[in-house]
Amino acid sequence: MASTPSLAASINPATLPDDVPRAELSAIDASTKWPVMLFLLSSLAWLLLGTVFALISSVKMHTPEFLGNYEWLTFGRARSAHLNAVIYGWSTNAAFAVAFWLMARLSRACLRHAGVLIAAACLWNLGVTIGIVGILAGDSTSIEWLEMPPYATPLLFVAYALVGAWAIITFRFRKAEHVYVSQWYLLAALFWFPWLYSIAQIMLIFEPARGTVQALVNWWFAHNVLGLWFTPIGLAAVYYFIPKVLGKPIHSYYLSALGFWSLAIFYNWAGVHHLIGGPVPAWVISAGIAASLMMVIPVVVTAVNHHLTMVGSFGALRYSPTLRFVVFGAVNYTLVSLTGSAMAIRSVNEITHFTHFTVGHAHQGMYAFFTMVMFGAIYYILPRLLLKEWPSAALIRTHFWCVAIGVTLYWVDLEIGGWIQGLQMNNPDLPFIEVVRNTIPYLFVRSAAGLLMTVGHLAFTVNVLWMLGARRPAGATAPTLFRPPPALQAAPVR
Amino acid sequence: MAWVFYTVAFLVALALSGSAVYALFWASKHGQLRDFERGAASIFDDQEPVGRMTDHFPARRRKP
Repeated sequence: MASTPSLAASINPATLPDDVPRAELSAIDASTKWPVMLFLLSSLAWLLLGTVFALISSVKMHTPEFLGNYEWLTFGRARSAHLNAVIYGWSTNAAFAVAFWLMARLSRACLRHAGVLIAAACLWNLGVTIGIVGILAGDSTSIEWLEMPPYATPLLFVAYALVGAWAIITFRFRKAEHVYVSQWYLLAALFWFPWLYSIAQIMLIFEPARGTVQALVNWWFAHNVLGLWFTPIGLAAVYYFIPKVLGKPIHSYYLSALGFWSLAIFYNWAGVHHLIGGPVPAWVISAGIAASLMMVIPVVVTAVNHHLTMVGSFGALRYSPTLRFVVFGAVNYTLVSLTGSAMAIRSVNEITHFTHFTVGHAHQGMYAFFTMVMFGAIYYILPRLLLKEWPSAALIRTHFWCVAIGVTLYWVDLEIGGWIQGLQMNNPDLPFIEVVRNTIPYLFVRSAAGLLMTVGHLAFTVNVLWMLGARRPAGATAPTLFRPPPALQAAPVR
Repeated sequence: MAWVFYTVAFLVALALSGSAVYALFWASKHGQLRDFERGAASIFDDQEPVGRMTDHFPARRRKP
């Protein structure tokens, strides 16, 4: 095993990439352990906290007097705390963990400079903590997706700068000649995110732009965080885990290249579909709608590719936790993206805008797609880091069914309720308060769905903590530990 | 003062778009867009070969 490389050597342009040995998977996994564990455990903590804020906010919408005595839990603060905890806390920490593990594996070299990532994890989570405390204290900037006050965000910048530098060094010293499609998505995401975040912070908070340009920047940023940060990381995971779990290469690698580049071209323009009908130049809105519809190309291409890879192997869903979560996520990626393209059409938008439909849609994207894919990735990664099996299959099943049913109930309920709400709002004969009252049953169902999802999160947490505490079996060294069920040992996967 | 930020931001935007174009060019030049079969199989090796599943539910704790 080569000696630990120094940071100076990595940055020095004279250092040759050939000096790095191509490593075994077990060694690579072991080298990623501390940074990935730190990000994963942080993400889990934020998931739980975000879930608490989610339940509080959800209940407050239909029962406003709930916890009404506490000023720091007023709906505006609790909801913003929820959004930031699940986006910058759970989702981004999970995204980092999965991205680093995947990049190490795809580079076929041990992870270098773990200390840089550990520092980044501490700074990132410190920044998010300060930001959320600031929101609860009343210092929210009131700009959606950027509510964290300006005294918290510089920490996020520094943390991210460390991450970005690490990513470039890792890619530079890769040992794999071929850059797998997941690697493209990960590098692109790591490039896009700091750009998005910096521009949004500068143009909205530090040197604010004039008037409605702020709204444009806000929604360019927020939508691109979905499409150029979370989507690529989610897709990178799907493109790796489906073939890896099945032992079957991706059906059409050509389609994956096409999907990646068309996403890169079209996605950036779509964000303004949040402002359809607003006081924004019509050509900007039309460009956004056109791009939102062009997104059907990469989405369908990706869906076809994933489906054709899975064809003939759907039985494997019975045997693999990772596959269940990842395929559920991939299917929802297709559905939510097609819904999104439809919502960008002006006549549809007239109904869905400003309703619960958008909330349902957002949760289908961030939870039914991204979060589920992250769960699947964690089910694959953690045993390989800790060299232990998951303690309880029952808890895995509980987790899966609770969150799968919960989130599906969530988005179907809110999209139905939101559609009706939209139609009613467009009816001038109906008083607004009537429309509001008619949404209340749907909000109760949403709270129930949220409770179901919470049960799933608790099952997951118990399993993780149990696995952390369990003793490692003697002599465990290999990356793949599970004895395949007898049924699979006999029948090879086609 | 704001125009300083916006000028820098515009230049960075150009650089970023340029890097995307360069990335596509680089991929083409380094053979990343050829031989797709090999590319798809690049995530497999001797330890985790094509044809073997690599993830399962944990075995039941109580053996019959």
